[in-house]
Amino acid sequence: MQFRLEKRPEPSKLMLYVTPVASVLLTMLVGAIIFSLIGYDGVGAVREIFLTPLTNSFKWQDLGVKAAPLIIIGVGLSIAYRANVWNIGAEGQYVMGGLAATGVALATYGMTGWWILPLMMIAGIAGGAAYAAVPALLKTRLGVNEILTSLMLTYASVQLIYYLVRAPWKDPMGMGFPQTRRFAADALLPNIIPGTIVHLGVPIAIVVALIAWFVMSRSVFGYQMKVVGAAPHAARYGGFSENKTIWLALLVSGALAGLAGMLEVAGPFQRMVPGFPTNYGFTAIIVAFLGRLNPLGVILAGIVMAITFVGGEVAQTTIGLSSSATGVFQSMMLFFLLAGDILVRYRLKRVIPAQEARA
Amino acid sequence: MPLRLQLTGITKRFPGVLANDNVTFAVKPGEIHALLGENGAGKSTLVKMIYGIMQPDAGEIAWNGQPVVVSSPKAARKLGIGMVFQHFSLFEALTVLENIALGMDAKIPARDLEARIRQVMAQYGLLLDPHRTVATLSVGERQRIEIVRALLLEPKLLIMDEPTSVLTPQEVEQLFDVLRRLAAQGCSILYISHKLHEIKALCDTATILRGGRLVDTCDPKQETSRSMAEKMIGAGLKDIVRPEGRSMGEPKLVVSRLSTAKTGHFDVPVNKVSFTVRAGEIFGIAGVAGNGQNALLDALSGEIRSDDAESITIDGFPLGLLDTTERRKRGLCAVPEERNGHAAVGEFSLSDNSVLTARDRLGMVVMGLINSGAARTYTGKVIAEFAVKALGPASMAGSLSGGNLQKYIMGREILQKPSVLVVSQPTWGVDAGAAAAIHQALVDLAAVGSAIVVISQDLDELRALCDTLAVINLGQLSPAKPNAEMSIEEIGLLMGGVHGATEAHDAVPA
Repeated sequence: MQFRLEKRPEPSKLMLYVTPVASVLLTMLVGAIIFSLIGYDGVGAVREIFLTPLTNSFKWQDLGVKAAPLIIIGVGLSIAYRANVWNIGAEGQYVMGGLAATGVALATYGMTGWWILPLMMIAGIAGGAAYAAVPALLKTRLGVNEILTSLMLTYASVQLIYYLVRAPWKDPMGMGFPQTRRFAADALLPNIIPGTIVHLGVPIAIVVALIAWFVMSRSVFGYQMKVVGAAPHAARYGGFSENKTIWLALLVSGALAGLAGMLEVAGPFQRMVPGFPTNYGFTAIIVAFLGRLNPLGVILAGIVMAITFVGGEVAQTTIGLSSSATGVFQSMMLFFLLAGDILVRYRLKRVIPAQEARA
Repeated sequence: MPLRLQLTGITKRFPGVLANDNVTFAVKPGEIHALLGENGAGKSTLVKMIYGIMQPDAGEIAWNGQPVVVSSPKAARKLGIGMVFQHFSLFEALTVLENIALGMDAKIPARDLEARIRQVMAQYGLLLDPHRTVATLSVGERQRIEIVRALLLEPKLLIMDEPTSVLTPQEVEQLFDVLRRLAAQGCSILYISHKLHEIKALCDTATILRGGRLVDTCDPKQETSRSMAEKMIGAGLKDIVRPEGRSMGEPKLVVSRLSTAKTGHFDVPVNKVSFTVRAGEIFGIAGVAGNGQNALLDALSGEIRSDDAESITIDGFPLGLLDTTERRKRGLCAVPEERNGHAAVGEFSLSDNSVLTARDRLGMVVMGLINSGAARTYTGKVIAEFAVKALGPASMAGSLSGGNLQKYIMGREILQKPSVLVVSQPTWGVDAGAAAAIHQALVDLAAVGSAIVVISQDLDELRALCDTLAVINLGQLSPAKPNAEMSIEEIGLLMGGVHGATEAHDAVPA
């Protein structure tokens, strides 16, 4: 039996939604097989990683807290990727947003007031956007590939944390630990559900995604992103400047990554530490694609990805799976998704050889 | 001698469409046989079955009198069937020789292959340097690679799919010479086209398809272009109706000393182009492809902005510094040559494509938000008034046939009632019925007082349509003259032997 890929007259809407689900299911199946083959309880690993976080209600708060930054960054990336602007450095923009917010928190240390958090938020957004402006400038002025510049700037941002928490921002009472002091109460995100770790960042993530969905589907801005990504020549004919679009895409995705950085540092971390970069910025790339570059899809994808994070931790303690296993599962998901994407534009058709047809 | 190719009762069904319905015809040895039909008439499907890309659901193919099953293109080539596709499959970064070597079924040492290529080229008078990189070749030269590739297999039947839609008049002549020589040596040619005068000039027999069925097999030399067109579209062909007593008004579009910078290696910029188009006038710009037409369209539409505000004016208002959006607001709409990816976005719905150029003139944007209802309504109107064959405003632009997409694009611009419309190649690759509709729409738009510029390589089109003609050559525009006062020889001279001569000079005869 032979199969052939045949181009569909129109991209399949069904496949567009089926492939993300199928890629998650395939990941579970193949993951179970692989981990069984290397001597673990494969089925148990998949159960712990994908199901325990959902069935155990104590884990739900962790899901929300992990999903929030992934959703916020993923939404920003989904907007940029629509315009074919490949911002790979959200991690760096997330770090810079966190650092900018930390700067405000430390400068206002000892002060009180409701205005401190909004100011930190503005600083975080500005920090992320400013860091994304560097690849934008290089791309529009000199034609430098934004994939390289945004990625490399990530590593520079991590070094900046190391420097700041070891010297100028080091906690004077920290017994030499490389970290800043714990933020004052007015510089910390309030918990919105008493008795849990769910902070203000969780509802903010949902609101950000909803606003982005509305803007992308209804506004001229969203149209501009999509048309520049789909057909740059037609976009120019329609009156949309490619350079302006590159700037907008990088600034918006950088700003959202910066916002996520601020929410993390003022929420779960409560201070800046060298371990602040936790790959949210990179994982959000998977989230953006798994969510079909659609802000509503990104909410779901963010939750799925949070499940693998939380479940990965569970599996570490219960069946002694290495922490890298989470990464393996996440990468498999992206792999299956991108591979399955071909079915959106093509369909699989059985080829009947001529002899068989005659018989 | 047996018939080279005999199709009997060929039927091919796709979900929802009967692409070929009981088609029967034959090709004699050494015959140049035209396969004629509108877009969607089933020509491509039929040819794909002959070349083994698809299998018929019913019917029989006989080759030199023997029934055969052509199971794959490789099997077709083995039988002696060659095909030159409309879209070339060439690697731009490789040389001619490397490209041909990659496409061969059998491995032949490079030295032998080159010798054979040179022999084939000499035999048929194809000028081409095997060591040139494809990226530096013109479209006509690229087509020659594909022809050489097919001829190396010494085919007994060569299928040519719309070969002239990308060629200049000179290149068309050269191609016809090659095809006639081939036929004289006994190779049959199946020539797919809807350019009727070419078929009259070249072909011995024409098989006409309509809606998947065979309508007629005739001798094109005995028919008129009109009678064949009518068989093709199955109805009487409408003449362009010109309103009586039309008079041209004041100068509307004035272009003076418009120049563009040289951007890419293969772009021809325009140099100090000046012309005036009056209200109600259709101004034609003739020229061989690649003489600055694209730069001229971009400079007029605003995709390339001028640094002199006065270089383009409408009713005296300077537009030179404005971008496409601002120019559209001032009444200047444009349609570039390339439909998919330039004039329209294939992955977008027709409705979203209307937003691309009509959003400001028709108030589809309120406070930064798109009024998708208005876009849908307008698109529905375009579809209805221009008889676009589409399921509705939600259809993807890429799913439309070339002619239908062009009708939609022309309709989208014309129904915005622009005071100046600039179009490039308005009927390129479009069937006769759709072309007539587009021409009529342009004439009607001029009749209500718009100034129209038509940039085209199709001289018949310009002669039929325009009040005034000028010729673009190497980025420079000849002085304009009334169409009626210009002879075809004069136009031909202006189009310039220069371009053809340089090309011949570049190519090394084998």
